[in-house]
Amino acid sequence: MTNLSWLIPVLPLLGFLLIALFAKSLPKTLVGLIASGTVLGSFIIAVSIFLQNDGTAHTVKLFDWISSGKLHIPFAFLIDPLSLVMLLVVTGVGFLIHVYSVGYMSHDERFAQFMSYLNLFVFFMLLLVMGNNYIVMFTGWEGVGLCSYLLIGFWFKNTDYNNAAKKAFIMNRIGDLGFILGVLLIWVTFGSVNYSEVFSGAEGFTKGDKVITAITFLLFIGAMGKSAQIPLYTWLPDAMAGPTPVSALIHAATMVTAGVYMIARSNILYTLSPDTLNFVLFIGLGTAIFAATIGLFQNDIKKVLAYSTVSQLGFMFIALGTGAYTAGVFHLMTHAFFKALLFLGAGSVIHAMSGEQDIKNMGGLRKHLPITYIVFLLATVAISGIPPFSGFFSKDEILAHLYAHSPVLWGFALLASMLTAFYMFRLFFLTFWGGFRGTKHQLEHLHESPLVMTAPLMVLAVLSVLGGFLNVPEIFGGNLALKNFLSPVFEASELRSFDPHIGHQTEIMLMAIAVGMAGISIFLAYSRYVANNEVPSGDEKEMSWLEKLVFNKYYVDEAYDAAIVKPLNWISRKSEIFIEKQLIDGTVEGSANFTLHLGGLLRQLQTGHIGFYLIAMVLAVVAIFGYTVLF
Amino acid sequence: MNALISLSVLGIVAMLSEIFNFKKFLYSLILLGLVAAIGVNVMEWGQFQLWYGMMIVDEFTLAFSGVILLTGFLWFLLVADNHQDKAHISDHFAISLFAMAGAIVMVSYNNLSMLFLGIEIVSISMYIMASTQKNDLGSNEAGFKYFLMGAFATGFILFGTALLYGATATFDIQKIGVFVTEHNSELPAIFYAGLILIMVGMAFKISAVPFHWWAPDVYTGSPTLITAFMATIVKTAAFAAFLRLFITCFSGVELFWNQTIMIMAGATILLGNITALLQNDFKRILAFSSVAHAGYMLLAVLAMNNQSGGSLLFYLLAYSISSLSAFAVLLAVANLKGNTNVQSFKGLAKKNPFLAFVVIVAMLSLAGIPPTAGFFAKYYIFTAAIANNYVGLTLVAITGSIVSIFYYFRIVIVMFEGDESTEVTVGSNTKALLVICSVLVILLGLMPDFLIGLLK
Amino acid sequence: MTQYFFYFLSFLAIFFAALVVLSKNPVHSVLYLILCFFSIAGHYILLNAQFLAAVHIIVYAGAIMVLFLFVLMLMNLNRDSEPPKSWQGKVAATLAAGLLLLVFTASIKGADALPSGNQPDNTVGLLTNLGKTLYNDFMLPFEVSSILFLVAMVGAVMIGKREEVSE
Repeated sequence: MTNLSWLIPVLPLLGFLLIALFAKSLPKTLVGLIASGTVLGSFIIAVSIFLQNDGTAHTVKLFDWISSGKLHIPFAFLIDPLSLVMLLVVTGVGFLIHVYSVGYMSHDERFAQFMSYLNLFVFFMLLLVMGNNYIVMFTGWEGVGLCSYLLIGFWFKNTDYNNAAKKAFIMNRIGDLGFILGVLLIWVTFGSVNYSEVFSGAEGFTKGDKVITAITFLLFIGAMGKSAQIPLYTWLPDAMAGPTPVSALIHAATMVTAGVYMIARSNILYTLSPDTLNFVLFIGLGTAIFAATIGLFQNDIKKVLAYSTVSQLGFMFIALGTGAYTAGVFHLMTHAFFKALLFLGAGSVIHAMSGEQDIKNMGGLRKHLPITYIVFLLATVAISGIPPFSGFFSKDEILAHLYAHSPVLWGFALLASMLTAFYMFRLFFLTFWGGFRGTKHQLEHLHESPLVMTAPLMVLAVLSVLGGFLNVPEIFGGNLALKNFLSPVFEASELRSFDPHIGHQTEIMLMAIAVGMAGISIFLAYSRYVANNEVPSGDEKEMSWLEKLVFNKYYVDEAYDAAIVKPLNWISRKSEIFIEKQLIDGTVEGSANFTLHLGGLLRQLQTGHIGFYLIAMVLAVVAIFGYTVLF
Repeated sequence: MNALISLSVLGIVAMLSEIFNFKKFLYSLILLGLVAAIGVNVMEWGQFQLWYGMMIVDEFTLAFSGVILLTGFLWFLLVADNHQDKAHISDHFAISLFAMAGAIVMVSYNNLSMLFLGIEIVSISMYIMASTQKNDLGSNEAGFKYFLMGAFATGFILFGTALLYGATATFDIQKIGVFVTEHNSELPAIFYAGLILIMVGMAFKISAVPFHWWAPDVYTGSPTLITAFMATIVKTAAFAAFLRLFITCFSGVELFWNQTIMIMAGATILLGNITALLQNDFKRILAFSSVAHAGYMLLAVLAMNNQSGGSLLFYLLAYSISSLSAFAVLLAVANLKGNTNVQSFKGLAKKNPFLAFVVIVAMLSLAGIPPTAGFFAKYYIFTAAIANNYVGLTLVAITGSIVSIFYYFRIVIVMFEGDESTEVTVGSNTKALLVICSVLVILLGLMPDFLIGLLK
Repeated sequence: MTQYFFYFLSFLAIFFAALVVLSKNPVHSVLYLILCFFSIAGHYILLNAQFLAAVHIIVYAGAIMVLFLFVLMLMNLNRDSEPPKSWQGKVAATLAAGLLLLVFTASIKGADALPSGNQPDNTVGLLTNLGKTLYNDFMLPFEVSSILFLVAMVGAVMIGKREEVSE
């Protein structure tokens, strides 16, 4: 079955080609069928490979891609536990979102194009997680960036959406520069970009080696861009301009977790450089708290979810930073379930509200959207970390590792976790409880979404509830199934890192504190938004300076604008005048004019007279004889 | 050998079609025959045969025969929609097929007599084909010019061959090679004279400066279809012959000739590219670009290492398919507008985006810009040359390719200007050709390894 | 003795070749060329290749030159129809040809110092030996040359045929 693995990315690619080529002649139903069917096919193959996998890594080589001098890059796939987990998440969640999109986008006139982009995205994402070397990963990495750009700006007639797409692309490019430099440094250091050779080569290095630290740091810059960490996170909230299924698939479940996957994949390198790991930890923690506070005051349903995603990604990087790679991957997985569900639920709400995204104008939707209400509740509970929902297990594992690492940092992470519970329930109560605050027109059109949209919601709800049981900790009599499954991948790292163990007593205490804090947050949210019926005004005049600061997202965008964009513009304006116009244009145009002039002279030689040609040739022969005899 | 036999038989069948009146099926028959010949060629891969000591079938032969057959097949796709002279169709087809047979001889010779025969078969076919448009003064001029100057060059090749025979008492190129290594220090003067004369003759055939004079005029004057044939198949054969001759016979006296070829290569690249800058006729631009490309390919001959064959093969294929698609679009435009001027392409991007896309791919590839085949073609040739310490020449070559971007992109820019163009249409065969060529160009650019690995 | 014949025949060949170029009347040029071919045929006989000598005379002097004469007569070319050439062209051509001659002579000067064991068989020109070489060693080129002639023939017919006025 492993031999068939090449089909996994090829199927969505085929889907993309089919739809893109015959977009005009295919009926919408068929487009939907092809797009979802190909991803389903990939999912089925991934499942069957998963069922047969015995924990060993298989390499499936398709062909030699580039070889030049010492550089040999095969186009090959690596099938091991880590890539299998990612494959299942990408194809599984991807399939559900494809199905949902068929319903969500059915009225859009560029439906076929949308589905083809989605398929193309899945193809690149699969390349990213399946490649057996950094170059194939980079291909996928760039490809998903491209698809993200195309899909954010899908409704390209809106200038703001286009700007958001551009912003996402440019922010990602900054990160990509770090990534590609890291890959180059890997090639220079190890003479190869294949995982197997790099990782076995890395085992010869001592912990804290400077080169490894540089490599991991550069790679992490790439991860900061793709996974929206401080300071490169600002693109993700803007990326919500894309259609909601895109936000669910790309900007919550899959693409933004590419950075987490990359670090988990390169775990041995990171384990060898504790400095980078600490850096990752602080960036992750900072992002988790920072984004969570911004989430408190946002009124756009998708923006709240976007900041929540940034914050949750921070949690994943906290896990990676403490060396708990399994916990990071575990949270990646559960987050994919409940965040995809939240976005799709939000999509369902927006769909019902005829495009309204502001929660100030919602409220009381539970009566009108019962299915959406229930699944949204389940997902909200899951993300808040209430047992036995999936988010509880994965977040708890991260917190436990962090406590073992440093109790002070644990305190900060707990704060972020509390804030999460608060803003999520604030969102939930404002949307579904209380009275309806929208227009009369919207009220008349309120309706539950069709089955094609709610069915994926229900499947995801089941996963959000039960997903945590994939890795039940020992204190609950679990067997850490995911950890054992992934252990071959992280074996080398675990040998090298000290795993601080905390007693069962402490662990239970930590859980109790976390759950209790979450409960308090929920109660606070309830008392404020349900009992007191408070509705955020969104009016800046009524806010304190602190609220204002947070409401405006700490003015980070404005700060970037003032600190980077404006000076850059100033420099480029000056450069245009002095360097471009005078220095470069002078030289370039001068040499170009010279060449053109030369061309004008040389073409005179081509006279067309045979006599001249023959004499020229004879003289050339004489010259050659003369030259070879003389020298 | 099988390719030679099948092409000759196909040529004879083409002549017979006139007598037995099956001209209607001739075209399909030839396409089928060419596909079969490609198939046989592929099946033979890995074999080694020596035919009467005259022809050698090895991987080099088969690879270059493959390129010739493939290009020939694509060229015949182009013929279907653009052949105007219906009366002489069987004669034209027969001559083209015989010319391809001659090209096969040129890539598989093991004896200087075979080399001469191959060159003559190809050249004489081309003299005739160049002058097929009897009412067109340009075509007559091209045929006549090509004939006169070609005969001149043939004289050099024959004289050189005779002198080589005088020095080594054999026509067998492998024996000459052995002789050269064994008597390295005591080679007579007539050997060197013969070497120079053969080199001059071959330089004429590949249109290297300063023996390139015929190329721009003949390429411009000939019917565009024939120009496409000359620029691709004839060039492939001539370069394969050139490389085989120098690797087998003259590698022992590399220091004697490498300076000369180096100067030729540099001059060819610079002159070809710079002269192309100010041309206004697209056909003439392609002619000068073909001269310039000969200069790049001379680098592969200079490299004289195990990368030479592979990189030259890749370059020739990349160059041939890119040129073919450029010529195909040129034909379509010229049929409509009646001239081959660059301005005829105005507005093509709006009226026929497909053709414009094809032209862009072809131009990117000819200019050597990734991710097209042309980029890797240049890349491999340059690395092979640098591996043999021709750094300065490689710098010249890079300068030349930068200059070339100007005129390749000029046509691209013109395509996006204005919109007064009327609809340009191409037949289904040409469409197939364009799709195949463009896909190949991009595919070879994405995974160049497959081809380059064939000849190590 | 042979040496004297060689020099004499060479002188004749060069002399007539010069006259071919120098004579103003095209018909005279053709006749001088025939004489030149005869002198070269003499060289073949000196090299013990009588058959080649005969073929040379029959093909070149007999067939090709007669063809030349026909063309000249049919197109009525004579002294007057010759386009005048510029003196610069003449000087350049003479200079170029002279330089070529100089270079060739200079580079072939050492011809008598051939490496040993390299003397060609001087009976190869005899008819039997020629036939054996041609049909044994050079069988394949002999066959392949048929393609060459076929191409030339088809081409000659195609170019020479009168265009039917169609459509």
